[in-house]
Amino acid sequence: MPPPLNDLTAAVAAGKRKDTARLTQELLDSGMEPQKIVEDGLVPGMAIIGEKFKNNEIFVPEMLIAARSMKGALALLEPHLVEAGVKPEYTVVIGTVQGDLHDIGKNLIGMMWKGAGFEVVDLGTNVAPETYLQAAIEHKPQIVGLSALLTTTMPAMRETVKLLRESDQVDAKIMVGGAPITPTFAEEIGADGYAADAGSAVEVAQGLVAA
Amino acid sequence: MTGRERVNRMFMRQDQDRIPRHDSFWPETIARWQREGLQWDQSDALRLLGSDFQVLCWAWPAPFPGQREVLDQDDETETVRDDWGGIGRFWKGRSGTPEHIGFGCDSPEAWHKTYRPAMLAAANQINIPLAVRRYREARTLGKWTYLSGVEGFEALRRLIGDETSLCSMIEEPEWIRDIVNVHTEIVLRWFEDLLAAGVEPDGLWIYGDMAYNHATMCSPAMYRDLVWPSHQRIAKWAHDHNLRFIYHTDGRISGVLDLLIEAGVDCLQPIEAKAGMDIREFAPTHGDRLAMFGNIDVMKMTTNDQTVIEEEIRTKFAAGMATRGYAYHSDHSVPPQVSWDTYCTIIDLVDRYGQY
Repeated sequence: MPPPLNDLTAAVAAGKRKDTARLTQELLDSGMEPQKIVEDGLVPGMAIIGEKFKNNEIFVPEMLIAARSMKGALALLEPHLVEAGVKPEYTVVIGTVQGDLHDIGKNLIGMMWKGAGFEVVDLGTNVAPETYLQAAIEHKPQIVGLSALLTTTMPAMRETVKLLRESDQVDAKIMVGGAPITPTFAEEIGADGYAADAGSAVEVAQGLVAA
Repeated sequence: MTGRERVNRMFMRQDQDRIPRHDSFWPETIARWQREGLQWDQSDALRLLGSDFQVLCWAWPAPFPGQREVLDQDDETETVRDDWGGIGRFWKGRSGTPEHIGFGCDSPEAWHKTYRPAMLAAANQINIPLAVRRYREARTLGKWTYLSGVEGFEALRRLIGDETSLCSMIEEPEWIRDIVNVHTEIVLRWFEDLLAAGVEPDGLWIYGDMAYNHATMCSPAMYRDLVWPSHQRIAKWAHDHNLRFIYHTDGRISGVLDLLIEAGVDCLQPIEAKAGMDIREFAPTHGDRLAMFGNIDVMKMTTNDQTVIEEEIRTKFAAGMATRGYAYHSDHSVPPQVSWDTYCTIIDLVDRYGQY
């Protein structure tokens, strides 16, 4: 008798790494399809985390341990997903803009996007506009995410959006975020979406790919 | 009225001739201003502003003082193993926070075996002769003098990294408590050494960025359990020595304002507007117990639009000054998008609206 998927959802949302791994393995052993485990067990757990985070019911530590649990489960599932030919429906390219070495915000959002079932290509920090462009051409993502923590690097965000917009080889939506970024600034530089935090980043991204 | 008198009266919510003032600038901002008319350096900008504050020292205990090993470099950055045992990528010749790549202190075992003993054994890293000299000069000039350094939350992040420190707040709370306690113990011990050298500062200005644009990094309950006792200890030490305690944190800190007051924090700085902090909201509710230092939005400054900046200064000064417990500072550091002309206008506006 396999454990209920609800138990897996609850284990992810509570950040219980060992329980999440054990339940994932038990579900796999029971013959459940790996994609179903991801979509009906793990992703709902991270959705709970995103909602609670957005509402300040949980904070960064709780989000991080949930994301770690998710990561552990995905590591168990990945060979089975590859074998079954299952690929994430959507790809996101993410990075911190040129001149900025901050990565915690970008990493948190990357974790949440992975948790929501996106494939995440992380370009790291201090990413030049041309590097974003190359990655967007190479990976053909549905979304390019730009993060900036410093007021001094906001011009680099503007420059990157401009370069991506000018390319006829890029068909991705552009999302921006970070401490100094506001919805007004996002709109002004021509971004398609703005996320105030890692919780709402999932919601915004899902809205953009559904549009 | 001297700066020292002015700031002390601010803490006592007594009348002042004008609000106290201080500010911070990115190095790139100073470089721009030098091209646009600023004669000297940051100290010249602070002199023109009429800063009332003078730092005497900086305290951030490291386990391996002096260690700096360059592991890799390119045209813009270099990757260094630093005196905290961590590996970070730093900008060459410009400001900015480093990218933290790895941390030597990555487990409770590493902490107890190597890092804790090293920190406790390291000598006082404050330049005491320099602090004494600065103190004497500042007293002559009538400045409000302070000892500066970081508190436990910031120390955690530097020593073991964001991810490990935040996850360990749930999974290894005793480890976190111990690091915070050891750090606090050492900082206060160093400050004691400074007092013994004859320095009689007016306050502490302690840095600990424990929030970001959305909220505090950890929950108020977790802060209360793991870090708050160290803030209370710093406040008690300060008050026992007749010093005031200014606490610096960026981010949206509104969820723990009452806890900061309960810990004994006397003043909050810089009150980051872009994280949703607004003294027009908090001064009426908390300003009688917590002095407010800053909150003038650098994003408004970057518009270089006098009307926008004037509205920001006029309305926030009015809210802060109503409590007699307010001092001017930008809500973080003035960025290079702000022209020297604009900053001169800001100084004029601070003059105009900051008089009692």
